[in-house]
Amino acid sequence: MINRRMPAPTDPGQEGPPLVTYAETAMGTVFSLTLVPGGLPGRGLRSVLGAACATLHRADAVFSTWDRQSPVSRLRRGEALLGDLPPEVAEVAAECQAARRASGGWFDPWAMPGGFDPTGLVKGWAVERALAVLRRSGIAAAMVNGGGDLAAFGSPAPGRRWRVGIRHPWRADALAGIIEVGAAVATSGCYERGPHLIDPATGLASGRAASATVTGPSLAMADALATAVAVGGDDALAAVGRVGGYAAYLIRPDGSETGTGGITFVS
Amino acid sequence: MKRAAWYLVAGTVAGFAGVVVFHSRATPAAQPAAAGTGGAGPAQTGQAGPSAGSSPASQPSQPARSSPASAGGPAHSAAGATEQFGYGKLAVKVTVSGSRVVNVAVPVLRTLDPTSQQISDQAIPMLKSQVLAADGAQINGVSGATFTSQAYVNSVQAALDKLHLK
Repeated sequence: MINRRMPAPTDPGQEGPPLVTYAETAMGTVFSLTLVPGGLPGRGLRSVLGAACATLHRADAVFSTWDRQSPVSRLRRGEALLGDLPPEVAEVAAECQAARRASGGWFDPWAMPGGFDPTGLVKGWAVERALAVLRRSGIAAAMVNGGGDLAAFGSPAPGRRWRVGIRHPWRADALAGIIEVGAAVATSGCYERGPHLIDPATGLASGRAASATVTGPSLAMADALATAVAVGGDDALAAVGRVGGYAAYLIRPDGSETGTGGITFVS
Repeated sequence: MKRAAWYLVAGTVAGFAGVVVFHSRATPAAQPAAAGTGGAGPAQTGQAGPSAGSSPASQPSQPARSSPASAGGPAHSAAGATEQFGYGKLAVKVTVSGSRVVNVAVPVLRTLDPTSQQISDQAIPMLKSQVLAADGAQINGVSGATFTSQAYVNSVQAALDKLHLK
């Protein structure tokens, strides 16, 4: 079950380096890049942020299912084969296959209406790409939040881990819990954009979860598994519980909660 | 109507955000003890979310209880406006002592139909403790279902981003 402990009293005098946040619109949502700049000067910082954001726009251009001329749209229509397309498409398709296996089939981009649709994984994948740019640049620590799916490295302050609130499914201004994140956390649900989560078995919208959160080493995989649990509810949660390194937290439609273990709530 | 009872305590602490969040889906059970900020940040004393609205707070479905962790100073209460939520309407009564939320009660709960009433009966108690425990917590980001760029504007993540924007 879920391990909740009382929050430690906050320390208003906590020392830490200043954080810098940059928000970028891409893929129909907003990406927030939070950095501990370390010794990087302002100009270097802007250049690094620009490079990180460029990877997001590149992912948008390649994987947009709204843009009818995007490589993934051409793949969906059968106008192109994987080998004809930018190499990222094959890379994401391979990750989708791994996620389909890991999720016990609850995440299945090949079973979506309209053809192969990696949307449930590709935003997490794009966040990881942007984060890798920041990591390579020598920045001390960073977290990238792609519209609610986050990946991070380093520490926001000495001795601290990145802390992430899980949005409350029925209240945009409240949290259902707070966790500490070492690498990645993704949450899926229908409260922001309506019933878009399709059950691969039926082809219909699924209503078995109000909110599904998955943590683990890879955000692409966590994103896909969160989609799986949002679609498959308790059944998918059990599948995720068997995936090494990953943990899940489910809020059911009736508001009750369950989890795989492995997620420690600080509150 | 996104305007609900929440505080953002923008920490003066270097590079870290203290966010105090609470919401209306709460029953008046015991407050987690001493989860407060210890007066960190710009305290908003006795100000409890939306000013008194349409809620007839005189007839609470369950009586409000004060916190076991008496935070010192006089406690103030305010009933929020009745708000639409997923399964009906509810209003919240928040008690603040000093800078700390010491109790959240739901004096009014009107649901749309009997099914919703059942859902609400289950959902509100189950989710109560989490919301109260967010009091005084510090977060760097919010994980949730993908918001649109329009919805981002009113998100807690956007509020966090503003703290560090250069």
